[in-house]
Order: sequence, then C-alpha cells, then structure tokens
Amino acid sequence: MKDEPAERLDPRAKTLWRLTGILRAVPILVGGGLGSWGLLREVGPSIYIGLLPALGTLVLAALIVFFVPSLRWRRWRYEIRAEEVDLQRGIVWVSRTLVPLARIQHVDTRRGPLERRLGLSTVIFYTAAGPNEIPELATPVAESVRDRIAELARTRDEL
Amino acid sequence: MNSETNPEQRPETPPQLRYLHPVAMLIGAIKTIRRWVGAAAIPGIAALAGTGWRLELAILGVIVLVVGSGVWGVLSWRATTYSVSGGAFYLRRGVLQKSERTIPLEHVQSVDTVQGIVQRFFGVVELRVETAGGGTNQPDAALSALDRGAAETLRREIEGSRRVSAEDEEESGPEVIRKLSTRDLLVAGATSGQIGVALSLVAVASQVFDNFLPNNITERIFELLAPRSLTFVLLLALVLALFAWLLSIGGTVLAYSGFTLSRDGDFLYIRRGLLEKREATLPLARIQAVRIVEGILRQPFGLAMLRVESAGYGRGTEDVSVSTTLFPLLPRREAERLLLVAAPEFVTEAPLESLPARALRRYVVRALIPTLLIALVVGLNVWFAAGSVPLALLALLLLPPAALHGFFRYRAAGWALDEDRLVVRNRFISRVTSVVPRRRIQSRSVVESPFQRRAGLATFRVRVASGSGGTAFRVVHLEAFQADALLDRLGPGRPESRARAAGSDAALES
Repeated sequence: MKDEPAERLDPRAKTLWRLTGILRAVPILVGGGLGSWGLLREVGPSIYIGLLPALGTLVLAALIVFFVPSLRWRRWRYEIRAEEVDLQRGIVWVSRTLVPLARIQHVDTRRGPLERRLGLSTVIFYTAAGPNEIPELATPVAESVRDRIAELARTRDEL
Repeated sequence: MNSETNPEQRPETPPQLRYLHPVAMLIGAIKTIRRWVGAAAIPGIAALAGTGWRLELAILGVIVLVVGSGVWGVLSWRATTYSVSGGAFYLRRGVLQKSERTIPLEHVQSVDTVQGIVQRFFGVVELRVETAGGGTNQPDAALSALDRGAAETLRREIEGSRRVSAEDEEESGPEVIRKLSTRDLLVAGATSGQIGVALSLVAVASQVFDNFLPNNITERIFELLAPRSLTFVLLLALVLALFAWLLSIGGTVLAYSGFTLSRDGDFLYIRRGLLEKREATLPLARIQAVRIVEGILRQPFGLAMLRVESAGYGRGTEDVSVSTTLFPLLPRREAERLLLVAAPEFVTEAPLESLPARALRRYVVRALIPTLLIALVVGLNVWFAAGSVPLALLALLLLPPAALHGFFRYRAAGWALDEDRLVVRNRFISRVTSVVPRRRIQSRSVVESPFQRRAGLATFRVRVASGSGGTAFRVVHLEAFQADALLDRLGPGRPESRARAAGSDAALES
C-alpha cells in the first residue's frame, strides 16, 4: 500500500479545470477591481494601497487558472485493485482513501456540459456512507472503469 | 394436487383488511385542526381585525373548523385500512385521493410504537413502520391508533417473517438488559450538560416576553432593578441558571423516564418516555458503531452514556439525530459489561495508544489560531470604542483557556486496533470513545497537511454508514507510519492472515 495508485486522470482535465477556474476567477477579479476603484475614488489613498485589492485578486486568479489545475492533476491518482478502490488527491491536504469494493452499492458516470465538450466523464460510486468520485476520465475509460467497479463489487458481494 | 395445496394457502391469501382503533378519528381531527390553526391563524386574525373584531364570526369560524375536522377524521378513519399478506404490508388511505402503499416485509427495518398524550389517555399506541431506503423525515407508514393487542399482532406478523429462529426466542420473550433507576434518571438530568441549551431557551423566552409586554412595564422593571444593578444582575443570572438546570433535568426525565433496554435474539428494544411512551426496535445488524460518551460533568464521577450509530435508523422519530441513545447513564466501567450482553461485537478492553508528544504543540496551536483571531477582533473593537490599550489587552485572557482546551483534547485523544475493531477516543467537550468494527467501515483515509508531513504525523479517518448518509471517525496527529499501518490493516481480507500480519508487525505495538 506504500506505492501510489497507478492511474492518472485524463490530461484534458487540466483544460477543464482551467476553464472552470476562469469562470470562478471572473467574479473575484471584478470584486478586486471594484475594491480598488472604490478605494482610489472615495478614500483617495496612495496609488499603491489603492491597487492592492486588484493585485491581490489578480494573483489569486492566476493561481486558480494556471497553477491549481496542473498541481491538482499531478496529485490525483486512482487504481481499481482486486479488493478496493484506491484514491489519492489534494494539493495542500493530501489524502489517500481506500474504499473496499464489497461496500460499493452502485456506480454512475456523469457528464456536465463542459465535460461533454471535452469528451470527459466523472465516475461516482456510492457506499452506505456516501459517494466518492473519480473525476475527468476520458469517456470510454470512465465507462470501462464504471463497468469494472460494478463487476468487481458484484463478485465481492457474493463472497 | 392443486386442490390440496390451495386450501392450505387460502387462509393466508385473502387480505384481511383491518381498521385502526376508532380513537384514530379523534387524532386525525386534532391533527387537521392543528394544521388549519397553523395555516389560518394569522390571516384569520387579520381578517377579524379588518371586520372590527366581530366575535360571532370568530365563533362561527371555530365551529366550522371543529365540525369539519371531526367529519374529516371520521372519513379518513373509514378510508384507512391495513393488512399483511403475501409477504408484504399494505396500507390504504386517503379520503379524496386514495393511496395504497406496499412495503415488502423484508424491507422493513423497524417497527416502533409511540404513545402520545392522546393515545395514552385512550390506552392505544401509534405504530410506525420504517424501511431502510428513502431519505424523508416521515416514517414510511404510521398507524395513528391501534390497541395494544392489534399492535402486538401486527408487529409479530411483520417481524415474524424476518426471524428465522423465532420460536425459541418468542417463548422466552425479550430479556431485559438494564433499566434506568429513578436515582440515575435524576443524576442523568443533573449532569446532562444541556444547561446551555436550556439557558438559551430561557433567553429566547425572556426576549419574547419582552416584546409582548407593554413598554412602560419593562421600563419600570428596569428602573426598579437599576439601583442594585450588579448584585441583582448576578443574582438574576444565578436564578436563571438554576431555572435552566431544572429545565434540563425536566427534559431528561420526560425523555428517559423508565428507560429499559432489552434484547430478543438479534433485536434490541428500547422503551422510554414519561408522557410520550416510545418503543423502538434496533436490529443488531444495523448498528455501525458504538460511542461511549463521558460528558464533562459526568467524567469526574466515572459516569457515561452509550450511543449507537445506526444505518437507516432514527428518521421520523423526534430525536432526529441518527445516533440513538443505547443507554442514558451508567458507570463507565460497566459499559463493557452492558455491551457484552447487548452488542458483543463492540466490546473492547484494549489499552489505547496515545499520540506522540510532538502532536501536543499542534493541538494547542490549532486551538489558539481561531481564538487569536477572535481576541484580535474583540481587542481592536475595545480599543476603538474605549480607547484604552490595557482594557483591549484583556482580550488576550481568551487565549489560556483555548490553549488548555487544546491540551485536554490532546490528552483525551487515543486509538487502538483490537483484532477487527478500531477504537478511537477524542474530545471536544465530552470525551467520546468510539468502537468501529472493520466490517462496518465504508472507506478509510489518511490525510496529511504540509505541517503534518514535516513532523511525520497524519490524520486517519474512517467513514461508516449512519442514517441515510455517513459519519466519520478521526484520529488527528498520529504517527504517519501508524496511520499507514491502520490503512493497511483495516482493509478487506481474511482475518487469519491479518492476525498473523498483526503479530509480525511490531511497528504498531511500540
């Protein structure tokens, strides 16, 4: 169990996360811009302090769009072992989760509009304690992962 | 051959439709009235005020409501029938819109009886049938009034199908494991630590009181109080606290009076309640984890409460929390003995492993950070408002208690792996020891923050089913290699090979 899970997510996941990152960054940037504008106009401090909110949000937006997706992708790994599903994820808090196949009740794949555009799917499997997911696999891969989990979960159940 | 087998099956097959006890009409009527009063009170009063408080209109309204509800009660009683046949429970109801519900008996998860005040007055019970699925807050089928005999018959019919070796057990009947004595009941109330809850209730009540009293009265009371302010305020606070304490004792007495835990085969039965008698069935197979809760007022006296985490249970009952009280108060050292009889899967006496010393700093820091922020905000506010730095620095007094809290959390934390059971102990306010069998674990994780990684520590977490969702148990800041070992050893596999692995793996023992 010491070695990392073998499989990675589809590389297109980074593109998807960048796109959703942009969507998330826009309101943040607007907020920062408004903050700077308000500061410069109403209070009239020095130009450097006035620009702080805008710069801060710019840095944050750059992080969300450029750094987080690739870090996240590099960390995310999964593997369907004989007895369990092995997941590793997290940028700051790195978590390693093992879900015994015998506990899995059912498996879904899900595709959002952006995911569909990029040919990606998310596999979600449910235990009695809630869902777990493997996001952003290429759709055919996701389908085979789903079928494999379902198949293994069924045979483990019989044991 | 057919002619011979048919007569044997016949007495079973025709669904024998049964009606509720006639008291159901009254209960239905009361429910309808309550619903309408809730919905119509404010518009009704507004309309009355608009017409200049015509009393006749109000009386007419009330009469219409009562008569209408009565008629509705009778009609819905006539429309409600239930039956058990062909391995399923059927419930038909609805005056205008008929509905028919079928619950396969093997899906029935529990059959509970509840006795409200009206039901008690007439000596009938409400019977609730719950299934494992669904996520609503309503029981899947509720029969509002049955006499004891009918309820017992129905319970037997429903549960009978699930008990394989029913015959032996039914002769002996449920065996009482433990009863809560009156003394223990009062002690439980006095140490319940719900003073806070009761206190906030009192506060809300006084607020409401304040709003409804005419202004000049409140003002006059204040004038009366003003001269003796400090002593009086302290006294008032003391009286309020005492009142809240009595209230919390009262609440416990209401809920736990006559608490009896008994077991019959694979089922636990919990009976409790003073005004509203409750009877709950808890299948042993549904229990996911047991918690031994030592409240802060109870721990010094060596007392504890037992709770169970159970899957798909606890919906529809008043205590909506999915963890159910298994026993409200008992000496801590007798907990294992009770579990041995009630739920032997959860008995453990393994000594707990405490956390490494370097985890202490992290517990304290973690407790200090949010408190520091609060102290900062409070201090700045005081500084701006009062303009005095020494006064503002008083906010720092918040820090030592927070650090102490972190220390106590560290000291309480511990874990053990006892054969196939994970034992986790931690504290927020109460010290809670949780026992989770390996086969109940739905997923397990090791989580590391950058700080933890640098110190070689990690957080280990397991999730179990609870209610219709899940709940997590955590060991925060244990040795990273121990967390990895736990991750490994609590996985699926044959117990023998695990036991051998446990013997050879000295890392975990030291």
